[in-house]
Amino acid sequence: MMALLLAAGLALVALLPGWFGGFPPGRLLGLAASHAGLALAGVVPAALLGLALGVLVTRPSGRALRPAADALAAAAQAVPPVVAVALAVPAFGFGWGPTILALLLYGIMPVLRATVAALEAVPPEARLAALALGYTPAGALREVELPLAWPLVLDGLRVALVLAVATAAVGALAGAATLGTPIVLGLQNQNQLLVLQGAAATAALAFAAEGLLLALAGYGAGRGRRSSASPASSDGTAQSRKP
Amino acid sequence: MRAGEAGRALLLLAVLAGLLLPWLTVAPNRLLPGTATNGFSGLGWAAAAALAALALAVPRRVPAWLGAAAGLGGVALLLVATGWAAADSLEGLASAARAGLGGGFWLGLVAGAALVVARGAALPGPGRAALAAVALAALWLPWQAGSFESLSLVVEYRARQAAVHAALLRHLMLAGAALALALLLAVPLAWAGFRRPGAAGPVGATLGAVQVVPAIALFAALIPLLAGLLALLPALRGLGLGAIGPAPAVLATAGYLALPLWRSVLGGLAAADPAAVAAARAMGMTEGGITREVRLPLALPVFAGGLRVAVVQAIGLVTLGGLVGAGGLGALVFEGLSQFATDLMLLGALPIMALALAADALIRLLEHRLGASA
Repeated sequence: MMALLLAAGLALVALLPGWFGGFPPGRLLGLAASHAGLALAGVVPAALLGLALGVLVTRPSGRALRPAADALAAAAQAVPPVVAVALAVPAFGFGWGPTILALLLYGIMPVLRATVAALEAVPPEARLAALALGYTPAGALREVELPLAWPLVLDGLRVALVLAVATAAVGALAGAATLGTPIVLGLQNQNQLLVLQGAAATAALAFAAEGLLLALAGYGAGRGRRSSASPASSDGTAQSRKP
Repeated sequence: MRAGEAGRALLLLAVLAGLLLPWLTVAPNRLLPGTATNGFSGLGWAAAAALAALALAVPRRVPAWLGAAAGLGGVALLLVATGWAAADSLEGLASAARAGLGGGFWLGLVAGAALVVARGAALPGPGRAALAAVALAALWLPWQAGSFESLSLVVEYRARQAAVHAALLRHLMLAGAALALALLLAVPLAWAGFRRPGAAGPVGATLGAVQVVPAIALFAALIPLLAGLLALLPALRGLGLGAIGPAPAVLATAGYLALPLWRSVLGGLAAADPAAVAAARAMGMTEGGITREVRLPLALPVFAGGLRVAVVQAIGLVTLGGLVGAGGLGALVFEGLSQFATDLMLLGALPIMALALAADALIRLLEHRLGASA
């Protein structure tokens, strides 16, 4: 809730100057829509890939890939988003391409790391018990391991989403039309009103994304508690109290 | 999938990168796009020898030290031969002509290096150190011999040597200043939170909220905010504070570093087993003595983990300082981006990645030492 309130306040800061000679509110809203679209276009496939890879390297058949995944995660963390966007420009040219690539890189890693950590934190007894009850390995994964791992996975998804909103803003440097555009324009023309509007709007979108994801998670966890009362869901609501 | 198969996949990636993607591009000057000379064709026999050496690194039957050494030799040969091929391709062209490195080269290099690292990871500590030393020598000797001087990236570096060195130094200073400021903020807050757990919640929520703000927005927003502050308190200008320059970059970076540092100090202090603390108290140790003798040794490995995250983030985030007039390697990246000069961009970006990876590896080593001794 705090995050959504912050988002609303920052959105006001971003939009109000528009009526007093700043960046027009209509265009700012348009940029916000394309910003959100770009972030989602990058983060949704990245999250799916990260989840799939995380499940793969924790299966007995994929365990040998674990060191490679760890090294990749560390390496990706060492490349700041700005640098990833800049490096992708020669390969993809200006526009959406470099940003999408950077979003994929940054989206996969937090989800992959969180999924691996979450699945490894599931007590092996829980899985063995499920197998002993006659679940297939896939069934044990779906019915036992993933529900127990879900709160930590969700935290990874939250980090990926917030990173995606931030990286999409940096994409303005590579020519993508996002909320970073007024920031870059303002910095180039020494127009501090534009800088402030762009910064407030970007931050508003980031808080809104975080708030919506946590609200969604709290709703899901609430429903989960009613149906199965798993320890996972009580952690899920604890997460949602974070800003 | 077995580990050997991962090695085979990397080898295949290197071969495909060399065959299908441009390895070198020859352009009339540093800004125009060049014509790609495809694949290994420019490298000749050296490519075959390098790939054979890399192939020797793949099978599990080959001992780790031999595999790593062979892979390293293959990567070094690829580098040197690329330098020679660049010199050949510029033969007879105007002096402004550049031989740039293509996507195939970078992909092949990363795949080869990953293969060496994967084999080297199986070596014991001294073996890994020796491998790193040999790798540095394998880069340094041809560099001294001038094998790379025809590559566009090196030409760009030679033209801007002084600026690159100054930017590197400034980058390190900005990152260091941000880290120091964040420590000054995070350590007392963590100590207070440890003593009074009720204080930890709001502090964590505030620091967590900073993380949500996109970095580019915080860097940019600090300019008007600092300008407003300076207009109210002009005396601050006397302290060297400016709305544009290092101040917004250091402040914003420190804001992001505070959370990992605060969390790791708090987690480290809480890491001591309450029973051990109670035992120390029963033995008559003072509160200060308990902190010094019991809590700190247990806290250090946890703190080193937070420090590692913070240092890597500092090196990356300070890059955005280039946007707000703070200079550093980020300024080179953004200058290259605005000129569409790939080499200039790489001159800024490659050192940033190298610094971040080196810092990560060094502090990880420290973490293991501390963890082993605690």
